[in-house]
Amino acid sequence: MRDELTIKSHAGYWLAALLLLAGLVVAGVGFATGDVFYLRLASEALIFGGLALSVDILLGYTGLLSLGQALHFGLGAYVSALALIATQSFWTAMGVALAAGVLGGLVGGFIANRVRGVYFALITFGMAQVSAKVVYNTRSLGASDGLIGVPVLDINFGFFSLSSASPTAFFLLALAILLLLYFLAAYLLDTPFGRLLIAVKANERRVPFLGYRTATLRLGSYVLAATIATLSGALYPMLRGFVSPELLFFSTSGNAVITVILGGAGTLVGALYGSVLLTVIKSVVGSWTEHHLIVIGLLFMVVVIFLPNGLMGLIQPGIRARLARGGRR
Amino acid sequence: MKSLRTSLATLSLAALLGGGAMAAEPIKIGVVTPLSGTYAGIGQQVRWGLELATREVNAAGGIDGRQIELIFEDEEANPAVAVQKAEKLFQVSKVDFLTGTVNSGSTLAVGQLAERSGKLIATTVSFADSITGDKCSPNVFRVNAKAGQQSAALAAWLSKEKPQAKVFYLGPDYEMGRSTVAAFKSNVDRVGGQSLGEVFAPLDSKDYTQYFGQLRASRPQVLYTSVAGNDTVRLFTQLDEFGLLNNLTLLGASGTVTAQNITAIGKAAEGFVTGVGYSAEIDTPANKKFLAAFRAANKADPDLYGADSYGLIFAYKAAVERAKSTDADKVREALRGLKWSTPQGEKTIRAGDHQAEQIMYVVRVSDGKFKIVGQVDGPAAIGPDACTRF
Repeated sequence: MRDELTIKSHAGYWLAALLLLAGLVVAGVGFATGDVFYLRLASEALIFGGLALSVDILLGYTGLLSLGQALHFGLGAYVSALALIATQSFWTAMGVALAAGVLGGLVGGFIANRVRGVYFALITFGMAQVSAKVVYNTRSLGASDGLIGVPVLDINFGFFSLSSASPTAFFLLALAILLLLYFLAAYLLDTPFGRLLIAVKANERRVPFLGYRTATLRLGSYVLAATIATLSGALYPMLRGFVSPELLFFSTSGNAVITVILGGAGTLVGALYGSVLLTVIKSVVGSWTEHHLIVIGLLFMVVVIFLPNGLMGLIQPGIRARLARGGRR
Repeated sequence: MKSLRTSLATLSLAALLGGGAMAAEPIKIGVVTPLSGTYAGIGQQVRWGLELATREVNAAGGIDGRQIELIFEDEEANPAVAVQKAEKLFQVSKVDFLTGTVNSGSTLAVGQLAERSGKLIATTVSFADSITGDKCSPNVFRVNAKAGQQSAALAAWLSKEKPQAKVFYLGPDYEMGRSTVAAFKSNVDRVGGQSLGEVFAPLDSKDYTQYFGQLRASRPQVLYTSVAGNDTVRLFTQLDEFGLLNNLTLLGASGTVTAQNITAIGKAAEGFVTGVGYSAEIDTPANKKFLAAFRAANKADPDLYGADSYGLIFAYKAAVERAKSTDADKVREALRGLKWSTPQGEKTIRAGDHQAEQIMYVVRVSDGKFKIVGQVDGPAAIGPDACTRF
């Protein structure tokens, strides 16, 4: 049976495949021209896309606005940086980040989910600010200067290995991991669990009457989002070689929300497209004028007013219509 | 034989012409500095200083006949943005040299990127000791005075003016506040002063009077503080209202009393003493010329950031002319041990840690303005070389 939601998620798969294709073309062109900057910028866009993806799980599906998702992103970045400095192993860093993601999600979700609506936004904001201040003042974490000296990695995949110093190789790795996280999230949200999250967003009071505990659902959604944010954050020090407390600041969380609105909330893949778009705009406009924040702000307002479904709202209806026709045939 | 000689001549002529064409190409210097946000004011000074020096050097024929071109990028005082912009300048704009980073986190992160990309950077603002200390890099230089130099200059002045002074410390309760107090305390101990006690007040404290009992009980001659901004306003006016400023000398970090808060503090700031690397009051022909040019160009006075940034361009010019190249390895060798003149006097880059050694000035507030009351020679202020990486 093909209902609206299945078609919607399939449209997302098509757009993710398109992103993969575009990524491969970018990697090929970048490798052929010996480019460094654009490939690494694209890797960064994907990494912050992962953060936006996690915001979209909360905002677009469960209806929870998190203003502190940078907490989990920064947690991943710091945990990964410390693990990399200590062991220089990619797999250890990702393993530790996964554990930190789940654990951080359980703790954060337990605290934040005690309240709803605007209070949820405030609590997540508060948690991130408190953590940022703690990191900012902890000397063993580098305090305000952050940690530098994250080593260049040789990432071993058993039958081949790649170096994080190679822009093309690391870009492909980031692309693979982010698409993996996307498909994982998209798959989970297409199961009955995902349908229930949408139900929570639509009418939270009614869900218990159907026999489900909303607290568990909300916690599950928070843990999933936190884990994705943490794993994305874990990639950051591998790309840039350092972490700094600014990664936990509100500007990082706020940017992720803007990315989701720009890409289209509730589409998942929109977060990745939004991140690529926003990163490119920031890089180009930022070099052109120091008033780039005004440009981003205006763009945000235009999108909110004229494109309530974001960038994906422009593209997806066409794909959905095509998929629906295919379904009837 | 003859044809060979002609072709050799043609070749060398071509090489000469080629060299000439190369020489006409501008030298690109990237500037990654905060142009928006909280630190935009500092970025503005950096920009004014660099632009003024660049205009002067270009008007006088450039560096070995090559003009300097500055390329600015906004780093938003965020290391994550600074690194991205620096990489753009290194890889896309192909800059020969990079400067401008303000907060220490940005300088450290961009310095690491420079090291991994085989380029050189210099900071003209960041003052964390670690940049040319335990986190030093062969590709990073600092031409401004670090925190240790400011604090050593102040301690040297203190030991001369008030030998065996009894000092009390009051810092803002965060990492930077605690480290500045610790650094000055070790300097006081070194010059034979006596430390009576220390308290740390939260940032943005409204009421400092709760610490005054402890302060009075220990009977200090000197109060050292590293609070900044509006905290200084509240601390100083409350000290004044409680009559604690009589027979008490106020010392502080260079950011404690600035042009931004001195009017708000009013008469409570009278007599406040700090150590700085530059003051517009410096009475030398070089500084007077610089001041006049800076005022004419920007309708504002230079502060230490503007002056240090101005001086950097001349250091880079001297180094490139000495190295006869903009190649990073050759310029690094030329910068090591380089002596050059700046508005605040002659500076030397110490080869061991890439920290500039310079005369430090001790300034005191009188009638709402900073006046120079003493100076400390470069070698006395710079402290030991703590860099072990090169």
